[in-house]
Amino acid sequence: MIKLLRIELKKILTYKIFWILTGLYFLFLALGIMMAEFMINSSVNQINSHMPIPIPHVRLYFFPEIWQNITFFAGIRYVLIFPAIVIIILITNEFTYKTIRQNIVNGMSKEEFLVSKLEIILILSLIITLVIGIASIVLGLVNSDDRSLSIVFGNSLFILGFFIEILSFLVLAFFFGFMFRNTGVAIALFTLYVLIVEPVLYFVLKIPSLHLKGVSTYLPVNSVIRVVEYPAIPFLKKTMGFVLQDHVSFLTCMVPLLYSAVLIGIVFWVMRKKDL
Amino acid sequence: MSVQNITKHYGRIRAVDGLSVEVRKGDVFGLLGPNGSGKTTTLSILLDLVRADKGSFEWFGKPPSKESRKKIGSVIESPNFFPYLNAVQNLEIVSRIKDFPPDDIDRVLKVTSLYDRRRSKFKTFSFGMKQRLAVASALLGNPDVLILDEPTNGLDPLGIAQIRDIVLEVASQGITIILASHLLDEVQKICTHVAVLNKGNKLFSGKVSEVLAISDSFELWSTVPENLAKAISLHPRFKNAEKNGNMLLVHFNGVVTAEEINSFLFSKGVVLSHLAERKRSLEQHFLELLQDNK
Repeated sequence: MIKLLRIELKKILTYKIFWILTGLYFLFLALGIMMAEFMINSSVNQINSHMPIPIPHVRLYFFPEIWQNITFFAGIRYVLIFPAIVIIILITNEFTYKTIRQNIVNGMSKEEFLVSKLEIILILSLIITLVIGIASIVLGLVNSDDRSLSIVFGNSLFILGFFIEILSFLVLAFFFGFMFRNTGVAIALFTLYVLIVEPVLYFVLKIPSLHLKGVSTYLPVNSVIRVVEYPAIPFLKKTMGFVLQDHVSFLTCMVPLLYSAVLIGIVFWVMRKKDL
Repeated sequence: MSVQNITKHYGRIRAVDGLSVEVRKGDVFGLLGPNGSGKTTTLSILLDLVRADKGSFEWFGKPPSKESRKKIGSVIESPNFFPYLNAVQNLEIVSRIKDFPPDDIDRVLKVTSLYDRRRSKFKTFSFGMKQRLAVASALLGNPDVLILDEPTNGLDPLGIAQIRDIVLEVASQGITIILASHLLDEVQKICTHVAVLNKGNKLFSGKVSEVLAISDSFELWSTVPENLAKAISLHPRFKNAEKNGNMLLVHFNGVVTAEEINSFLFSKGVVLSHLAERKRSLEQHFLELLQDNK
């Protein structure tokens, strides 16, 4: 296992596109996090100019709500797609450069090759989760007055939920990479599916006369996004007692994990059958 | 290495059709055939890249496994490396896969004259250098068997000479080599054994020296050409004769020796001023084999 990981790291660490895309993910995420509070508050300001009693400014990044809010932004499909494209490129490169053939010829088994890619998915998910976790703690400590442990780590289970989100999203990318083998085709179809096909399907399934509303939430990408589905907006809770989501449920975590297991199984089966 | 009866279809096309071959330790074995004759498919099957529809094969007397592949160095078709990594980094990946310590990298880079460019990225290499890096990677850890699929394809004459020198050097160390090529000249210069493939079938296999030994044509020249032509046509194994200027090129059925012809003509009263055996090159033999098969 360690041997495979070392081989994989050798392939990745000097690869510029890997760093650029991973960097872009964090950049967009940071921008998104900064912009979100600012945008909401600038519209609050607008509303306040017509209101006799001003609405308080919304604050998203203090404990314990910060966990839910940051993981929500990090899990938006438009942002998640960056590390997913990284994974697709790392896989399809092996077919473009024919290095997968060379690896097999040199004495790797097909299974080992697949495991090496899964290890990278696991490591990348862990690192991104870790960075987001640390960022949440730092940002939270700066913004919060109450720093007691129970408050600081109150909603920290959301970070686990996010880990499951990114892990299963990257497994979907792994599936597309191995099924289509060509970088352009795999990225195009993946993006098309994630950003267009599934959202459209989601709304079609929700048409009441079809009686398929239940199915819509179990679509692959939707089931991933649903783990941390909504941000926590304390203002809504305080004024209207309205809560969209306040915890990560075990059941919503199981659905994307189940999808991952099935997709990995299909990839192993197909790769064993198909010539390289 | 032995292959029993392997067959591979691509749709309705039979790329390899019931092929059986055996290569013994120390052989320099040439797999010769025109483009599309099934050479690459055969090697891909032997290296577990492609699954055969039928048949089986063994390496080192055992069923194939990833462990047996670690003892085989291969150059398959094009050099396959990561363009953004340098020569050493690319070879480090190969070493790790094969479970060798990386100390052998400097040696193979020196053997292939790439040592000075070891820190250059693969994408900056010329095609000749890329191909040499592929050979370097195949030589890592002194493999028991070296598989070369068209190693000189697309190279300039200097590049071809460099690769051949390396291969001959390796062959002299007693490493078993399997070389696929459509260039007869290459097989003739490097190999000890040869199998000729066409349309996935084996047409012929044996020692290269045996193939070359078959001679059934002679160049004859006499001061009285008319008499010569008449006399030689009486030879019991005479097949036909072509006039080539003053020279007469005579083909026989089966093997005939120079002494036999000389004494036969002398007994008929013809004195020869020139008698030469026309060795068939592997190329002629190869073309004839392909012709016969049509």
